[in-house]
Amino acid sequence: MKLIWLALVPALALSIDASAQKKSYTIGLVAKSQGNPVFQAARVGANDAAKEFGAKYGIEIRIDWRTPNEEDAQKQAEAIEQLAVSGADGIAVSCSDANKLTDAINSAVKSGVPVATFDSDAPASKRFVTFGVDDVQCGEQVLHELAKIMGGKGTVAILAGNQNAPNLQKRAQGVKNAAKKYPGIKIRDTYYHKETPQDAAAKVEQVMQANPDIDGWAMIGGWPLFTSNALKWQPGTVKCVSVDALPPELAYLRSGHVQLLLAQQVYEWGHRSVEHLINKIHLKKNPSSVKDVSPLIPVSKANVDEFEKNWQKWLPK
Amino acid sequence: MNFGISRIRSLVGIQEIGLILVVVLLGTVLTAFGGKVRMIEFHKNAAGENERVVVEKNKFLNARNLTQLAKDTSFVAIMAVGATFVIIAGGIDLSVGATYALASVLSALVFSKGENQVWRGVLVCLGAATLFGLLNGGMIVLLKVHPFIITLGTMAIYRGIAFVVTQGQSVGGFPESFRQFVRHETADGLSLVPLITMILVAVIGGIYLSRLAAGRRIYAVGGNELASRFSGIRVDRVKLSVFVIAGLTAGIAALLALGYYGSASSGDGQGYELNVIAAAVVGGASLSGGKGSALGALLGALIIQMISTGIVILNIDQNYSQIIIGAVVILAVLFDQLNNWLAKRRLAARAVNP
Repeated sequence: MKLIWLALVPALALSIDASAQKKSYTIGLVAKSQGNPVFQAARVGANDAAKEFGAKYGIEIRIDWRTPNEEDAQKQAEAIEQLAVSGADGIAVSCSDANKLTDAINSAVKSGVPVATFDSDAPASKRFVTFGVDDVQCGEQVLHELAKIMGGKGTVAILAGNQNAPNLQKRAQGVKNAAKKYPGIKIRDTYYHKETPQDAAAKVEQVMQANPDIDGWAMIGGWPLFTSNALKWQPGTVKCVSVDALPPELAYLRSGHVQLLLAQQVYEWGHRSVEHLINKIHLKKNPSSVKDVSPLIPVSKANVDEFEKNWQKWLPK
Repeated sequence: MNFGISRIRSLVGIQEIGLILVVVLLGTVLTAFGGKVRMIEFHKNAAGENERVVVEKNKFLNARNLTQLAKDTSFVAIMAVGATFVIIAGGIDLSVGATYALASVLSALVFSKGENQVWRGVLVCLGAATLFGLLNGGMIVLLKVHPFIITLGTMAIYRGIAFVVTQGQSVGGFPESFRQFVRHETADGLSLVPLITMILVAVIGGIYLSRLAAGRRIYAVGGNELASRFSGIRVDRVKLSVFVIAGLTAGIAALLALGYYGSASSGDGQGYELNVIAAAVVGGASLSGGKGSALGALLGALIIQMISTGIVILNIDQNYSQIIIGAVVILAVLFDQLNNWLAKRRLAARAVNP
């Protein structure tokens, strides 16, 4: 018995010593709102990256998720300040209002906590990197794809969500910019709505009733597609291209109501942000460029089954 | 000396002492279990240059965290003082979040016009918020409609106007002198303006409620409106005044947030009305009227913020914060009811055995 103890004690001491020496980092993750599945996927991505890079570099990475329930830039600023004061080593944030978050980001950076932005940037702040789509290009791509499907002619409505969101304003601008290249395409209007699937679906219905000549929808956010049977037209009669490809939206590709979804790399928002932060704080390596643009992934009827498999990994278990 | 103590006692009741004990208890728990944090500070070296130094401090009990806690508390606490006036008078104001947003965006549009617009911006913020309070109170008194309905309506109207005037855009680019004043930092890097404003509002509110006849009339109206009317109190005037005060405090909070965060949008302050009412209720205000205090509102807001901050400090999943805060609101009401029941029993016992 004594012999076993004699063998166990040094082994335990060694293991305690090893874990004590293991470097540990806390990364704060501040998304726009809790309920939005795209940010849940970003959270899963960040947690996976923590495990992956933790094992790769022999370090411990903890993701501290501090996201307001509803979009609230002031609450985000408070979360960044709290994280910086309570010892986070790095912060990744998707900004609800860039103006309001700039000082909070700068003060975190001043106190030695590097900040990365994802999805929605704060360009005037001292964040060291931003990851996400280029919103103007995103809007342009939506219109180019839609124009291709519509054969270069028709009347198009733009569906945007919250009028306050700067990224959506840029995407809507992108759609309008690209439309100038197609003389046969007329933009009827940009329609805003409260960012819930029901409100979005109701808005599409109202607009279609008032404007039955609309034969194309450029959805720069895919809110109505989170409901089932939101699009009342006969499949194929109205063409539709939408940003994002979340699981409920894929059904509309299969039914033929939507011809193309352009998926943002929402899982990568978290994964890539953690990678950038670990490179910065552990490896002392800066990104090659401040802007890390992630391309949109086209999802059509042809590759929908293959794409859907990703969601088994991306959604919280 | 006794006179001084009795004066403090008149401002700090049993309920507030209980709340202070809860604050101390929460602070002790967070200090004991929060652990340490490494912070970067700038110290002057022998050559007189600022040198970056890493120091280890208690995660909760350090000056930076405490001023941060005070700042985060201040916006809701200031509005909660105003909401407490309304609640004591037996009313409710659901429009404080929207008042905060509309006053913010209107003054932001003035502030963004240039450095020489500081005073105009301040006046617009406080004046507009007070006017919105006056409109709420005026409609409640003239139309004789329950405050819940009127303020539910104005909540949507004020937010709608905020949206229309800004076209959904965030408005920034305020005068530097205004921002530097609100964000002013001491040599140790502490922002004290929100903390000082919050204390001032609570002290003035406390004195108004407990030392002035106008304040006592608010309790009388909330306690028994009919009796107040028969005793000669101008009930409508009292009702109007509490909504004006609630509007003004929303304006003060908006002004502070504008200076601190440097922008405003029509989406600001969404759902804050519920946070404000929760703070007032935790602080001892009774929704049936006649009870509450300004200091209680401040302490209620502080307790809710301490729970929220504590969850970050103790590394607990943030989703638990809502559950804990919800439970605290219910516990506060239950505790209040228990207190009332015990007081009634004591009175009954005294009546039987004088």
